[in-house]
Amino acid sequence: MNARRSSLIALAAAGALGLTACSGGTSAGGGGATSDGEGGGDGVVTVWHYFSDPNQVALMDAYQEKFEAEHDATVENVYVPYDQMNSKLVSAAGAGTGPDVVVFNGAEAATLALAGALAPLDEQWDGFADADQLPDSVLHRVDGTLYAVQGYVNLLGLWYNQDILDEIGVEPPTTMDELEDAMAAATDAGYGGITLSGLPQSQGEWQAYPWISDAGFDYENLDADALASGFERVRGWVDDGWLTQEAVTWDQTVPFQQFAAGRTAFAQNGNWQIGTAESDADFAYGVVPLPLGSTGGVYLGGEGQAIGAHADDPDLAWDYLQSTYLDVEGQELAPDLVGSIPSRADTAQADVVTGNDLLDPFARTIADFGASYPSPAIPPAAVADVQLTVGQAWSAVIGGQQSPRDAADQAVAALTGQIG
Amino acid sequence: MFLLPAAVFLGLFSLYPLVQLVRMAVSQVTAATLNADWVLTGLDNVRRGFETGQTGPAISRTLVFVVVVTVLGMLVGFGAAIALRTTGRWSAWLLALMVFVWALPPVVNGSVWKFLLNDAGLLNTVLLSTGLRDTPVPFLYDQHWALFSVAFVNAFAVIPFNTLVFRAALMTIDPEVFEAAQLDGASKWQQIRHIMVPSVRPTTLVLLILTLVYGFRSFDFIYVMTYGGPGTATNTLPFLGYLQAFVRYDYGLGAATSALAVVGVLVLAVVYARSIKREEADG
Repeated sequence: MNARRSSLIALAAAGALGLTACSGGTSAGGGGATSDGEGGGDGVVTVWHYFSDPNQVALMDAYQEKFEAEHDATVENVYVPYDQMNSKLVSAAGAGTGPDVVVFNGAEAATLALAGALAPLDEQWDGFADADQLPDSVLHRVDGTLYAVQGYVNLLGLWYNQDILDEIGVEPPTTMDELEDAMAAATDAGYGGITLSGLPQSQGEWQAYPWISDAGFDYENLDADALASGFERVRGWVDDGWLTQEAVTWDQTVPFQQFAAGRTAFAQNGNWQIGTAESDADFAYGVVPLPLGSTGGVYLGGEGQAIGAHADDPDLAWDYLQSTYLDVEGQELAPDLVGSIPSRADTAQADVVTGNDLLDPFARTIADFGASYPSPAIPPAAVADVQLTVGQAWSAVIGGQQSPRDAADQAVAALTGQIG
Repeated sequence: MFLLPAAVFLGLFSLYPLVQLVRMAVSQVTAATLNADWVLTGLDNVRRGFETGQTGPAISRTLVFVVVVTVLGMLVGFGAAIALRTTGRWSAWLLALMVFVWALPPVVNGSVWKFLLNDAGLLNTVLLSTGLRDTPVPFLYDQHWALFSVAFVNAFAVIPFNTLVFRAALMTIDPEVFEAAQLDGASKWQQIRHIMVPSVRPTTLVLLILTLVYGFRSFDFIYVMTYGGPGTATNTLPFLGYLQAFVRYDYGLGAATSALAVVGVLVLAVVYARSIKREEADG
């Protein structure tokens, strides 16, 4: 065997292996605007978003059509994967570039604002005639400066499969005991109990919060016993066969697809799934508020809309927001297409909301259990840390990596350092 | 003069990022300070990583991961190369398929495997329908299975490449050597043991190091298939570094964790360079 030839083969291998390793990256693609590019703007509003669900994409398309019909400008919607949105925004800001408008997880407004990725909105907001229609809970301020607004609110409820409930002879649950009895009966009848997300990141924390707050946990007191109690309840569902351990690999989209397949009695999921339910579920279904106790809370989440710090035409970007997310007609598109609840006080009273039986339980949840997202007790710089810590603990409990007690103790120890 | 383009390329895309990584690893860098001056904090980030109890287990998981990827990647790669040593329609077809698998982006490959390994996926369906299992195998959601499953898929992705390289090396053996061995009554196993293995030894060494490095910096399959879960069960060093830098926005901490992974890769790179040098001296 010729050793030199072998080495050449191996060297070729090295180059090729390197190419393989580099092939996994993705890019947000073009559409970034440069602050020092064409000066006064190019007549294109570049909007970064992370929606892949067809109904949510349809809303982005509807906003694009509406704005383009009303203005002599074009809109370019650019998809950026959820997990990459913040890092791409932060690195783009460092390079003096970025989108004109960004639609992002509202809970991360502080992270992005502190990183210099978002432009202050105070000036535009002061001149906005309908500013009094939007409650403070949908305005994202950091150190007194407004950086983002929400055109709608998203939150979790308890979806149920009416056909399965009829078969096992139970009513939609209003208490935790009723829910657990119904899940037991559904499992005995050969169905799944409930689907939810146990992913070890912010989505997991968002899904965990109703159950751990119901057990008495909050971010002000950091009670490890209460956290362990909440974890024990949900781990018990896994042990009883009501919730599959596989939930740790699911983001929030997959568990709803599982529910829509018709083999599970309940799903802990959001109002944004109304469109998906209409298109995918071929059974009778409904929604009730999550059956929580007096301490229970459901985050009022949803996407924040902001102007990029390096937008090439901030005025046009503001026109886009006014014409879509902040406009009465624009807000009416959201409940219609994706089932989101408009944030304007006047639009929330429109027929498209009040006449929808599926939105009503979510509206009641806002009144009974609505909780600020993220919790005001968490310092802005620690939000991402806290969400990851609790999301990982939630996943570790559902996946059986840790006992509820150990996961709670470890999480509270970490949270104490993060929240202070 | 002819070296200049390569030197500039290396400096820009290898040395500069490496220097920045080390700078970041010894500084306090968060989302708020990323685009400002970095405050030097020495080894504080490394200390914090170990104190939080995340770095130590991540190193252990990385080592397990690397061993699984390397052992499977090398043995199966070599076995497949022996099987595909012949020329013919079937081997050409299989080789083409392997190149296809190898060229698949990890995100696509990982998503397909995630689908195959779930409770209702192909593998569990076969296991349940044949009665080999009463319950689905928790490939991706049990803390022990998950690490091995992702490592297996990582190995699966590198096997085609290793096969192609091993096969190229095997094809250089003079066919007369095998004919002579057959005349002497050597069995297939003896031919493998006494002809093929010694002949591909130089290739094996460099391929071993490349596969080790590949396993050491694996990130994409974990990202797609488990996101480090359940809990933190598949948090290897590269993924932990990602979580720290790009989810928690503690770039300094993430850089320190990544620097540890770089040290491991650097050690292997030195071994690789020395083995190449030795081979060339022998040749």
